[in-house]
Amino acid sequence: MAGPYEIFVLIKQVPDQGSKAGLNPDGTIDRAKAKRMLNPFDRYALQAALHVKRTYGGRVTAISMGPPPAVEILLEALEHGVDRGYLLSDRRLAASDTLATAYALFKTVTHVGKFDLIFCGLQTTDGDTAQVGPQLAERLSLPQVTYCEDFHLDDGRLHARRIIEGGVQFVDCVTPALITVANSYHPLAYKSFRGAWRVQQLQRNPEELGKYIRTVDLDIIQADPERCGLKGSPTIVAATEKVGELGGNCSMYEGHAPDELVGELIEKSNLKEFLVA
Amino acid sequence: MSESVNLAPPSDGEVLVIAEQILGELQPVTLELLGAGRYLADKLGGKLSTVIIGHNLGDIPQKLIEYGADTVYVADDPELQDYRTLSYRRVVCDLLETFKLPPHIVLLGSTTTGRDLAPRIAANFETGLTADCTELDIGPYEHKSKVDPSKVGLYEGCLYAIRPSFGESLKARILGPWKNPQMATTRPGQMTPLAPDANRIGKIVNIPVKLQKEDLRLVVAETVREVSKGVRLAEADVIVAGGYGLGSKEGFELMHELAKCFENSAVGASRKVVDLGWIPYEHQVGQTGKTVRPKVYIACGISGAIQHRVGMSKSGTIIAINKDPDAPIFKFAHHGIVGDVYQIVPELIRQFKEKLTTKGEKTVVHTH
Ligand SMILES: Cc1cc2nc3c(=O)[nH]c(=O)nc-3n(C[C@H](O)[C@H](O)[C@H](O)COP(=O)(O)OP(=O)(O)OC[C@H]3O[C@@H](n4cnc5c(N)ncnc54)[C@H](O)[C@@H]3O)c2cc1C
Repeated sequence: MAGPYEIFVLIKQVPDQGSKAGLNPDGTIDRAKAKRMLNPFDRYALQAALHVKRTYGGRVTAISMGPPPAVEILLEALEHGVDRGYLLSDRRLAASDTLATAYALFKTVTHVGKFDLIFCGLQTTDGDTAQVGPQLAERLSLPQVTYCEDFHLDDGRLHARRIIEGGVQFVDCVTPALITVANSYHPLAYKSFRGAWRVQQLQRNPEELGKYIRTVDLDIIQADPERCGLKGSPTIVAATEKVGELGGNCSMYEGHAPDELVGELIEKSNLKEFLVA
Repeated sequence: MSESVNLAPPSDGEVLVIAEQILGELQPVTLELLGAGRYLADKLGGKLSTVIIGHNLGDIPQKLIEYGADTVYVADDPELQDYRTLSYRRVVCDLLETFKLPPHIVLLGSTTTGRDLAPRIAANFETGLTADCTELDIGPYEHKSKVDPSKVGLYEGCLYAIRPSFGESLKARILGPWKNPQMATTRPGQMTPLAPDANRIGKIVNIPVKLQKEDLRLVVAETVREVSKGVRLAEADVIVAGGYGLGSKEGFELMHELAKCFENSAVGASRKVVDLGWIPYEHQVGQTGKTVRPKVYIACGISGAIQHRVGMSKSGTIIAINKDPDAPIFKFAHHGIVGDVYQIVPELIRQFKEKLTTKGEKTVVHTH
């Protein structure tokens, strides 16, 4: 033990891929029209951050980068028990790749202040790279634990279990450290009634709300605009191509009794080659 | 694009693959990367190098040459026994600093290790990194100046990093011609390794390991690999996978029973049932689970969502059992039974057992 801890959690708003709203005919997302949601992977990171606060004491700050509507997920985080939120929002961030994003987040984190732990989701559902967490850790010169599925703290030392190829690894390291949380971690608990009520009250009083959620831009966090957005991104999406429709060559077995269907399958497929001798 | 774009600095067209070994065993993705790397290096007229990091590496360096490397850099040190972000990062960053010209391309596998290490190296060198590629190639990049459109620069040796995007419905070509090295990680199971050639000639270079105290901030207390008791999805010849159509946790008993009919088999699952707690995460196949390539994949009560498909679509034969004839899985399965898993699977098991009790019959079953 040994708290309290200063805990940061990085969350992102993503288009809801489950909903058809805002999907262009070519399958790309029209971000203006798409339904928005908290990145599902970040729910595990939020749960981990709140777990530290509840178990060892401390304060949780949620940090996000995105256009103004992303404030919605910071409110959602407050409802879950996060103490305050920061949104980095600036037009000059448009088209940031992971390197530029990690730079902007690095500047935001140092602007917000000192921390013991930073939690990130494993990846986002709109980028799917899993790169931003480690790139942020690199800029902050932190040890990192990626694919973390369980952990505890002991005198400021982090003990964690992480997924590796074909197994798990138990590691421990000093704090401050950055952790990306696997989706095999505990799912995010339900919002507390108190949290939801508090946020409802805050929303009625914008001035009060402003004390809990701050929106910052590149000037406030003193970030170099040349290193952000399209300009600061070493990669670009040069072309996209639709993946062809699948299939048509599946042999279908249907309409008979199960024993006939199965007989037909066994006869026509290569299944029998693999039966135990 | 900003107005004054400098394309990548000169390079020797060298391609560097960061090799991955576990307990002295080269990972399949490394061999695939060497195959892809050889192709790219040949196209660029450069060399293919690889770096292997660990301790007591045995004949691995030699093997890397057999699979296509011209130069193998070896970092061998007791402190490098286990993969650790910071110490491995130090080795790779130090190595990259020693190149006279930066390598043109650096490749890693998108394994838990590659995805942990690659972003740190890219951030350190302020270069681009494309994640989880499924194809790699070299192509041109035409830069038109916004200030003076008559100024067109053509950059020939651009890494074409292709990755699926938008839930696998699109292929995106990601380019980063402004900086060398151009970096990418690739999904295991996507590239083809070269046939090993014991006569291939290459150079093995031991490199000094200069770890600093801060590189050892993280300690590995224990590594547990599920060798025997665990889920061997990656190596199984036959995978019997269950989905939400099983209706309950108990349905997996049936999956295990079916799996037992086959040599070298394993049980897989869709994410939905893992999330429901019907079966542990180790069994999950798909985008956020494992990528598998068995000879036969039997999908029982699985709809075939895109995120599941990416994990298993490279299977040799895909057999789907689903009661909905319009289930997406029938669009890419090879054999499809339209029916209830609880009628079909027990019948399959029954007929297999019948075949097995009549000794010898296994070889005489009717073949056309
Ligand atoms: C970011 C992200 C990552 C994801 N990663 C993964 C991943 O790694 N792996 C993965 O699998 N999914 C993943 N998913 C989830 C994926 O989108 C699907 O929700 C999931 O694969 C569906 O699982 P399912 O096929 O078991 O269930 P369903 O889609 O509900 O399909 C059940 C199927 O069973 C059939 N059925 C029902 N009853 C019977 C019966 N008695 N007999 C026969 N058939 C029956 C139905 O016709 C239906 O086709 C991910 C989703 C997101 C957003």
